[in-house]
Amino acid sequence: MKIYVYAGLKDYFLPEFELAEEVLNIDQLRACLLAINAQAGKLLSTCRFAVEDGFIDNTYKFKAHETVIVVPPSSGG
Amino acid sequence: MAGMLAGAHHPGAGAVVLFSGEVRETNQGRAVAFLEYEAVVPLAEKMIGEILAAACEKWGLPIALARHRVGRVDIGDVAVVVITASAHRSEAYAANRYIIDRIKHEAPIWKCEHFTDGTKEWGNNCNCHAVTGDITKHIYE
Repeated sequence: MKIYVYAGLKDYFLPEFELAEEVLNIDQLRACLLAINAQAGKLLSTCRFAVEDGFIDNTYKFKAHETVIVVPPSSGG
Repeated sequence: MAGMLAGAHHPGAGAVVLFSGEVRETNQGRAVAFLEYEAVVPLAEKMIGEILAAACEKWGLPIALARHRVGRVDIGDVAVVVITASAHRSEAYAANRYIIDRIKHEAPIWKCEHFTDGTKEWGNNCNCHAVTGDITKHIYE
C-alpha cells in the first residue's frame, strides 16, 4: 500500500512511502502509522483518509496495493 | 482574478459578489514573510467543483466560480477567489460565504506560514472536530 502524507504530517513521515503490512481499514492503517511514529498520534486522530475516488470512512475496505492519502485538517483560504 | 470576473456576468444576474482571500503581513502578532500552499490537487479540484455545484443548487445561482492557488503567495497577493452571481444580492452574498467557508474547512489544501524570523509552521487548521467530536462535521460560524 502506497501512502501519501501532506502538510504537518510531513514532520512525522516521509511525503510518500510504502507500507509493508496489509491493512484492511482506516483503523488498522492508523495503528500502523502510529507504530511508525507514535508522536504523530494527536495529528493522526484528526486526519481524514482518501483514495483515488475521494474520501473514505471507517467502513471502507482497502483493496490490495491501493494508494491512500492521509489528509490533515484543512487550512486553505 | 480579472479574467474570472469577466466570466462571471450573466443576463439573469443583477448581483455579482467577489471574495478575494489575500495574504496579510501579520498573523497572531507575528510578522509573515509569505505563505506557501499545498494541496491534493485532483481531490481539491473535485471537491471545489462539488461545493460550487451545491451552492448553485441551494441558491439557484447561474454562476459560481472559485480558484485557489498552490505554491508561494506573497504579502498582498491573492490566494483564493470566489465569485457568485445571482438575480439579487442576498443569494450571491450567502452563497459566496458558504463556498469559501466550505473550501477553508473541507478542501484538502493547507497553508504553511513562513515568518520573517525564519521560522515556519503549518497554520490555523480547521479544528471543528474539537467541538463536534467528528472530523467530518464542521461549524461555519
